[in-house]
Amino acid sequence: MQRTEIRRKPRNRFRNLLPFWLILPTVVVILAIQVYPAFYTVWLSLHQRQPRGWDYVGVDNFQRLFRMGVFGESVGHTIVFLIGYTTLTLVLGFIIALLLNRKLKLSGLYITVLFVPWIIADIIVGIVFRLLVVPDYGLLSGILQNPAIFPPNGISVLTASRPPSWFGGFPFPPAPAMIYLIMASAWRALPFITLLLLAAMQTVSNEIIESSRMDGANGWQVVRHILIPLMLPTLVVALFSLTLGGMNGVGMVFSLTGGGPGTSTEVLSYLLYVLGWSQLEFGRAAALALLIAVVNWALILATLRITRVEERSH
Amino acid sequence: MKRAWTILVFALLLGFVFAACAAPAAPSAPGEAAPAAQVRDFITWYQYDEKNEDPASDERVGNQYLRDTIPQFNEAFAGKWRWVNQPKAWDRMTAELVAAVQAGGDVPDLFEMGSSGLTELYKNGALQDLREWASAQSWYADMDPNALQACTGPDGGLYCIPIAERPHLVYVWKDRFPEGFPTRPEGYLAAGERLKAEGLYAMTFFGSTDFNGNGATRAVFMAFASFGGGYDDGQGNMLLNRPENVAAVEFLRTMVQSGYVPEIAFAGGFQEEEAFKDASAGSFPTGLFGYRYVNPLTAPNGTKYSKGNEEDMLDAIAAGDVILRPFPAPEGKTPGCNNEVTGFGIPVGAKNPEAAHDYINWIMSPEQNADWVLRPGAGFPALLTTRASEQFQTPFYRQAGEVVAASACRPWHGSLERRPEALRLIMGAVYRLIKEDPSLDIATELQRAQDEYNAGG
Amino acid sequence: MFSISRRRLDAWMINIALVIICLFALIPVATTVLISFKGERDIIRKPPNILPCDTPESAFDPSACRWSVEGYQRVLAPRPSDGLLPFTLTGNIVRIYIPNSFMYATSTALLVVFLSGMSGYAFSRYRFRGRQAMLVSILAITGVPLLTNLLALYHMGVNIRRAQLPFYDDRLFLVAVYTGFFLPLSVWIAKGFFDAIPRELEEAAVIDGCTPFSALLRISMPLALPGLMAIFLLTFVNVWNEFIAGYLLVAKNELKPAMFGLYEFLGQNIINLQVIAAACILIALPIVILFIFARRTFFAAMMEGAIKG
Repeated sequence: MQRTEIRRKPRNRFRNLLPFWLILPTVVVILAIQVYPAFYTVWLSLHQRQPRGWDYVGVDNFQRLFRMGVFGESVGHTIVFLIGYTTLTLVLGFIIALLLNRKLKLSGLYITVLFVPWIIADIIVGIVFRLLVVPDYGLLSGILQNPAIFPPNGISVLTASRPPSWFGGFPFPPAPAMIYLIMASAWRALPFITLLLLAAMQTVSNEIIESSRMDGANGWQVVRHILIPLMLPTLVVALFSLTLGGMNGVGMVFSLTGGGPGTSTEVLSYLLYVLGWSQLEFGRAAALALLIAVVNWALILATLRITRVEERSH
Repeated sequence: MKRAWTILVFALLLGFVFAACAAPAAPSAPGEAAPAAQVRDFITWYQYDEKNEDPASDERVGNQYLRDTIPQFNEAFAGKWRWVNQPKAWDRMTAELVAAVQAGGDVPDLFEMGSSGLTELYKNGALQDLREWASAQSWYADMDPNALQACTGPDGGLYCIPIAERPHLVYVWKDRFPEGFPTRPEGYLAAGERLKAEGLYAMTFFGSTDFNGNGATRAVFMAFASFGGGYDDGQGNMLLNRPENVAAVEFLRTMVQSGYVPEIAFAGGFQEEEAFKDASAGSFPTGLFGYRYVNPLTAPNGTKYSKGNEEDMLDAIAAGDVILRPFPAPEGKTPGCNNEVTGFGIPVGAKNPEAAHDYINWIMSPEQNADWVLRPGAGFPALLTTRASEQFQTPFYRQAGEVVAASACRPWHGSLERRPEALRLIMGAVYRLIKEDPSLDIATELQRAQDEYNAGG
Repeated sequence: MFSISRRRLDAWMINIALVIICLFALIPVATTVLISFKGERDIIRKPPNILPCDTPESAFDPSACRWSVEGYQRVLAPRPSDGLLPFTLTGNIVRIYIPNSFMYATSTALLVVFLSGMSGYAFSRYRFRGRQAMLVSILAITGVPLLTNLLALYHMGVNIRRAQLPFYDDRLFLVAVYTGFFLPLSVWIAKGFFDAIPRELEEAAVIDGCTPFSALLRISMPLALPGLMAIFLLTFVNVWNEFIAGYLLVAKNELKPAMFGLYEFLGQNIINLQVIAAACILIALPIVILFIFARRTFFAAMMEGAIKG
């Protein structure tokens, strides 16, 4: 920062340093709240708490983390969750964006209504969806738990067990609670993705679409061969931002399922919460936080690369 | 125009900030005249909130207790102490105390705690050793030695003062078991089959993995212990894989998989209580303190107990609708149960430990002791004199006393030190075995949980 | 002729599809409102009924509906008083947690607007060495979620408390954390808004004798005001809706935000769904109203932010 210079011809010293002073507070805040904790997490992951203080333990925290039976399971749950969540949100978001892309009198109203879920806090969304399926008393439970509709015993979303796995230990097919968690998460993320895709869709010029229609392409072919390729960068950005959000969100799991039933919705972010704040295993939690952070960084860098490619191509 | 509007909104918001900033400061400034200089605040952390007057809150009994006794205490120690309670969530109290002690400030003078949280607090250096002070008090000799033992840390120090002992037992709707509540597991299963035919359940219990596996301190431990098993080897290691435990899991699995347990037992968040409240489940193995929470009640014969407080269960017991029984144990075994102690600790860094001493002595006085034990304590008094007093000769306490005498009660954790981790592992394994996947091999899963605990240290 | 009617048919189909989608989007909200107006005896029925309007004789009788505000009463805990109003609301949520959230959200949003306005302007108007690198690293930091940093921030909070600084309390720390967390994205959004303001205006002002700083204050800031407003609103909503940091970083109950109050209710009302629903609605309502009145501003900020990361 000290070497900040201005390429333009300097008029006076204050002008010279103005951008420096303007940026300095932001940089200080970001260093304190975002950068320093990252280094602290690295330090924490190499230490363990003893009654007298912190002991350096090397990579022991990581080894203990990997030995935990629930760790491997959580990786599986996270993968299942992310695949379900991103696919569902992107497909639905794309369809709704396609519908909204027509010029309709009421589209302003539709967008406003559709956007309400996005404005509601994740923890509230979790509770709202939980209220619907509380065993015996939830409004949806009345339907789902009815054996006449869902034989043989009805489905109690919050207590039904995982079906037997198809691939060894990998948690697929998921428990009803996981499917429900995916639906609730998608419900909340849909507005944002819809709007993002809609904006990208509107930049695709109508002429291209019209001319391909003249050439006899049907609706699906236009989507498949024109819209999707042209919107690919946005789709990938949307995918990454969903993955990032889904990977790190803990509020929904917290209030909707609490990781249950059993461990069937225990994703990595929830495990991090449990290790850090329920079991006070700060070292092991920091090790897990680092692993999650590495995945985050990979996603962020990939997004940056794609958006830059996009900028260059324009 | 638009700009003016925006500026207006901004100004309004700024106003709100100042208003909001000013608001929280108000309660801290005492409304009345400045108190005499020597009156100091005595700060406690309870899981109850005297300001919560919600008559349907799940913690209403404890909330009401504090509301009643805070003025009494302030009167008894007028001019010396003023009791200020800070309510804390029960499943987060221990973690918050550890954080506060490590931060070196803002710890309470007195901490309401159970013995099962002791090692976490001890390991993090959060509690004072009270042995020296306590042994000089008049009530010390009157204490149940088992209760004192439960408060003793690994180094022999006394890290909490026990007030109540909370054994676990089975609450039973008498009419659901016309031939008497079974004393053998086989009888329990037979009753399950009979009740199932009527659309009812033999048992509800804390079957979920919620609250970090807290269920492993309750019915699961009762089953393990009644079959002659347990969680540890007495040397600080976990010992799950043994024939007694396998038999206990086999029994629980049969109960669950045959449909003798309602689905809501696995819904978490204490929802299992609902099945006992409306008598759809005939029995409920849980802590003695359960009576505070399980209300209002509807008996099988339609009688309603609907005061909505701890008296409902006591009334149902006095009327003979609910009876207390030990957990069924196989031939030749003694029913087992978890017995924890609840009481007070004084955190390291407490500003007014003398206030805590005064408070504990006050709670030990005959007038206060029984009240504490009956309401927030919800167990047997640790003071033997109080235990012999009139108030503990009610039908409820007489029955509970018989149950405890017929059972072998001990703390679930035995010699285990990493208790939160142990609970999560045990409950996770048990849940998987009895509910999620009945085809899993019991011994293998128990061994796996045991190995994982014993490997980390 | 045929093609016109077909197009109209298409429009109808699309409208119908969108109405159905909107209904689906609103079902969870609507059911929560419904639950919040039920009484306890309709909540604990097995099997549940959707509307509390049945009588022994008929399944639905509008005159027999048992609507109730019990849930709201228990959240708000109104008590008679002889103040300005005939009653005061004594529930913790309205008395402590919502004012706290308001304070956190407003002060964080003001700080973020202030800081991101300054640095966004600098990034937009000046070309200096390291500019591109800084912009990219700020963008990269945007993506690091609160959760992974929280462990370190928690310890940081503990250490600061140990230092026993004068004037310090958890509120300051929480506002700092929120600011640091929502600032990076806002810097980018602010830069985007400043980029859209023609530079010529400022240069004219400077030529007319303004200092660059007063040009910023007098010309650019007012023009950027809608953009800054968008940042304000976005940050406000984000802070209001944030749960885990407020839950873990604040030690004193009196300082905890609204989302924590909600969690507290959840812990104390296992089966009283109407109370939980009422608490959810009371906490979400301010934000939803804010959104409905200022939706265009929200969309502007979101699109600016979304395209960047």
